[in-house]
Amino acid sequence: MVVRLSIFAGLLPCFTLAQGGLLAETTSAQMSPAEAIEHFELHVRPVLATVCGRCHGSQQASGGLRVDSRAAILNGGDHGPAVVPGRPDDSLLIQAIRRTHDEVVMPPDEELPADAIDHIARWIDRGAPWLAPHGTIADPFAAAGHWAFQPLAPVELPEDSDPSLSSIDRFIRARLHDEQLTSVDRATPEVLLRRAYFDLIGLPPTPAEIDNFLSDTATDAWPRLIERLLASPHYGERWGRHWLDVVRYADTAGDNADYPVPEARLYRDYVLDAFQHDKPFDQFIREQLGGDILAANPSTDDARRHEQIIATGYLALARRYATAPYELWHLTLEDAIDTTGRAFLGLSLRCARCHDHKYDPVTQADYYALYGIFDSTQFAWAGGEEFASKKLPRQHFTALARADEVASRTADLDATIAQCQADFDMAEAASDKQLAKRLRQQLDSSHLQQQYGLPPDIPAAYAVHEGTPGDAHIHERGDPDSPGPVVPRGVPKFIAGPNPPYIPPQASGRLELANWLTSPANPLTSRVIVNRVWQWHFGRGLVATPSDFGLRGTAPTNRELLDWLASRLIASGWSIKSLHRDIMLSETYQLASRPSSLEHADSAAHDPDNFYHWRFNRRRLDAESLRDALLVASGQFDPRRPGPHPFPPVSEWRWTQHAPFQAVYDSPHRSVYLMTQRLARHPYLALFDGPDPNTSTGIRTSSIVPSQALYLLNNPFVTVQARKLADRLISFSPDATTRIEFACQTCWSRRPTSDEVQQARDYLTSLNQAFQQSNLSPAQLESEVWNSYARVLFASHEFIYVD
Amino acid sequence: MVSNLTQAIDRRAFITGCAATSASAALALRATLSSAAQLHRGGVLAPLPTHFPARAKRLLFVFLTGGFSHVDTFDHKPALAKDSGRELTTRQLRGSPAAKLMPSPFKFSPHGESGLVVSELFPRLGALADELCVIRSLHTDIVEHFQATLAMHTGSSTVPMPSIGAWLSYALGTHNPNFPSHVVLAEHLPYAGAQVFDCSFLPPQHQGVRIIPGDEPIPDLRTPAHNATLAELEAQMLRDVNEMHARHRPGDLNLPARQASFETARGMMRTAPEAFDLTRESAATLALYGAPAGDRSSFAAQCLLARRLLERGVRVVELIDTGSHDNWDAHGDMQAHRPKAQRVDRALAGLLTDLKQRGLLDDTLVAICTEFGRTPTTFNGTGREHYIDAFSSLLCGGGVRGGITYGQTDEYGMHVVADPCHVHDYHATILHLLGLDHERVTYRYAGRDFRLTDVAGHILLPILT
Repeated sequence: MVVRLSIFAGLLPCFTLAQGGLLAETTSAQMSPAEAIEHFELHVRPVLATVCGRCHGSQQASGGLRVDSRAAILNGGDHGPAVVPGRPDDSLLIQAIRRTHDEVVMPPDEELPADAIDHIARWIDRGAPWLAPHGTIADPFAAAGHWAFQPLAPVELPEDSDPSLSSIDRFIRARLHDEQLTSVDRATPEVLLRRAYFDLIGLPPTPAEIDNFLSDTATDAWPRLIERLLASPHYGERWGRHWLDVVRYADTAGDNADYPVPEARLYRDYVLDAFQHDKPFDQFIREQLGGDILAANPSTDDARRHEQIIATGYLALARRYATAPYELWHLTLEDAIDTTGRAFLGLSLRCARCHDHKYDPVTQADYYALYGIFDSTQFAWAGGEEFASKKLPRQHFTALARADEVASRTADLDATIAQCQADFDMAEAASDKQLAKRLRQQLDSSHLQQQYGLPPDIPAAYAVHEGTPGDAHIHERGDPDSPGPVVPRGVPKFIAGPNPPYIPPQASGRLELANWLTSPANPLTSRVIVNRVWQWHFGRGLVATPSDFGLRGTAPTNRELLDWLASRLIASGWSIKSLHRDIMLSETYQLASRPSSLEHADSAAHDPDNFYHWRFNRRRLDAESLRDALLVASGQFDPRRPGPHPFPPVSEWRWTQHAPFQAVYDSPHRSVYLMTQRLARHPYLALFDGPDPNTSTGIRTSSIVPSQALYLLNNPFVTVQARKLADRLISFSPDATTRIEFACQTCWSRRPTSDEVQQARDYLTSLNQAFQQSNLSPAQLESEVWNSYARVLFASHEFIYVD
Repeated sequence: MVSNLTQAIDRRAFITGCAATSASAALALRATLSSAAQLHRGGVLAPLPTHFPARAKRLLFVFLTGGFSHVDTFDHKPALAKDSGRELTTRQLRGSPAAKLMPSPFKFSPHGESGLVVSELFPRLGALADELCVIRSLHTDIVEHFQATLAMHTGSSTVPMPSIGAWLSYALGTHNPNFPSHVVLAEHLPYAGAQVFDCSFLPPQHQGVRIIPGDEPIPDLRTPAHNATLAELEAQMLRDVNEMHARHRPGDLNLPARQASFETARGMMRTAPEAFDLTRESAATLALYGAPAGDRSSFAAQCLLARRLLERGVRVVELIDTGSHDNWDAHGDMQAHRPKAQRVDRALAGLLTDLKQRGLLDDTLVAICTEFGRTPTTFNGTGREHYIDAFSSLLCGGGVRGGITYGQTDEYGMHVVADPCHVHDYHATILHLLGLDHERVTYRYAGRDFRLTDVAGHILLPILT
């Protein structure tokens, strides 16, 4: 423990905070976290434990107050919170022990010694830090100075001798100057073209598009390209996928039998469309957390209402556990809370389920304040083992149809079942075994339809709606069977400050949470999303830990730029497409990815990881882009959005934990539309570092492993695409050089050099010679030779990297 | 660029050390970027030094799916017969219903010089009693197959985390560059599926490579090229094309690493078929395991294959006996344990004997375990329910004392009364035997240092040689 404390102290700079006012030697605010804890352990905890604890402990909680944890003290008893951190004079505890309170006088019999009262006041003044079991430190003052929790302030643009320089470039250049780094030259147009295509739409340019762009000599060719790509229907598929990583999208529930959720795709498409249409990001957040509440507005039309309901699929998609409906529910809510923390606030809240957060100022009370919000929300249940074993229906899906329509279809289904049951009874009475058997099957199938939640022909959303509002108990040590004090529904106190949102008694609080998240005063939400967008463009965020802006996250490499981008996003009406324009029109985005001359050797030695953007970062294609690029090259790509996944019909849903649902569906559509499961990861996506659909993925890794090489060399999917590309080449032209040029443009987004053409021609010749002994027909031989060339291109470095 | 290269040479060791000392903010920043740095190592995982001298160099992890009953196998409870029918409550997922104590239908007898008591279900393993350490005091967290199976493999009952095999691969690397470091022999997937041998946030080269007995045990090993000459020409062309590309990007260390991954892949294509070829085994060896000649899919054949992989330097081999159905989950009747035991007893005993004969058992740690035990009580008079408050598993081989038991349950096998061993403790001990301090095998992910044993784990010191 001693070691841990000293490390903790070492990591934190000394804070200079406003003085508390009552102290002589060291002001309490000047105490380092380690000193503050030591002070607490020596002078405060003994008094709380021995004097106060007799009546306010685990045995007895007089007046509803316990003093054996920080959360309990802050939560208080019948008279309200016992302590207001930082404000001793306003704290009931101090008023009681100073005997200045009208009603509460403590300890009742004998006054505490003056120095004990003084110590407790200092402790409260210091923020009431507490070292709980497992070394937890709850110390709001340790975090008070943390950069990410400061409000966004206006940032001044750095001066630069070049007035035409974009704002982003000014920030970057100022930083490069400080670090004595020299940036490289601009990338060539063909490099920029490939970069922009994969970045904005996740697909390569076609040979015709390459020629067009390279022959476009107008000065605005680059901005026009960006506009074309932003307007492409593939833009939403690419950028929506980024968000699906963050919200742990999957097409199955994750329960022990991993039941499919055919309706999940509606949320997926909602996300893709939101990016496509540049839905203001604050509205996007509000809809995902509280779309169903917004949809209740009577002036909303049906299409809009449905969209808003579908948006709450974000919450419905929370990971499910075990076999019965809503089983181990506290774990599902943990996922909802943690994903919300990571996705929007860049904070991991999961730790606070069992104890106050070890590093960030998130308390257990904060966690259960959010818990109350989500526990007041009714989630849909998509099925699980007991759908089959106990015939329990899917529940609480939201119909995307008018109520009268739902009622009439439901009545139809009930009537069909009643009729079928009557016929069956008659057949049995008449001992017509064959008829009875047929009717039995019909009946079972109709019952299953009933079990499906809503009649299968009524469109439904895997969504949430308002449940029974109520505050949650703290789960002591994270155990739902050990209820602690009740915490009012709310948002984390250390960010909310003195004016937390008001949650009406009849509301879950989701909309209030969403409004609070998207308020311009929230210091985290805008910073977190601009940092993600920056990361998705450059491969790394200004903050390298995109889902952790807390004390353990990394500091921004350019804080002024981050804050400028965040303010700019808010000023633009939370437009992500505006952000793309700002970023991509900057010189920083258009830099080459490699040193162009020796003068950059210093930069490379100084900042080899390119934290300060003296060059662009080369990147490996992610799993989806790689597969999509193969399909485009082979000509097999289907650019349309597919319909529902081909899940088995509901009449065949019998999955259990002993025989879970598992399927892999082939598709010529974009990889964002592949069916992804929680329990069995998609084998291809797992191989190429796809997201973990069980938990929020902030950063995709980019591994290089032999099994990827085996896949590219030998997997039938790749060899089939190679065969199709070979066919395309052969029918494209009779001339080998023309074929080679087309192939390189298709795979590498550029024309080959003359050396590369010669190398390819030599290779084709050597293959032809090697094949001479075989008895292949000339057509077969030609096909084999070009097949082999196509396989080489697919496995080449240049196919999978973007400069 | 030179400095870049030296950094890349041992980033993994650097990061491991960094996480252990957790020194300064700058180092923490480095560690945070470790996932990006990992790729500089390419696919080949050179062996890494242990924290202290290892008792075992490799791990064989045998998982018997479904929860074998401790009171019917390795934890003899005569009092169950004496008090048969007495009503007691046992903790289940939903409440603690009362049920009746049920004696074991199987006979128990002492074995070997140690006199270790084993039931008639495992006559051949019993004969090796002097090699075995039986841990009778295991306990776990959630009384469901899925969650308990995940826990036994990853330490976590809820959120999927890296498996023990992935952690060992990450911490120790491997000696054979032509083979994955972590191989799983599983004809059927257990509860929780492939998550139980996944690498989660660790780099993918640590993921367990599942081998399904049959024609293509490892996917994508066969070249589409027409013949060997053409395959070689194609490989050379790819090398040439990639070299030209890399020549223009001299500072990019991913490119040589990627080229190396292709060479490793070709190495696997060359050597794997031989490793999987059981026809090279003698009739005597086949008989020892009880594997019929020509058989590739019996559990015995999997055990034989496990030995061949361990011999070839694979760091972690996991054997999973059955999948998530038709396993040790004997709710209906404990007699269902008989065929399950018959399937594994001779093969596992053969494997241990074979390892011993070849001198491999001295530095191979063998863990034979299950996700939980079964209630000493019964509802239906013949079967037993899931039970997490006490169950048994084994350890043997490198560094483990044989012929002993660790931990103790009460007279019914209901509660641990001495030396409890949580799943985290079992894992901590395995890591210790492989020369690793379980508190120092960490990986920084999402702002936190994660480890196999979370914030727990004690080493079972008395079982060490």
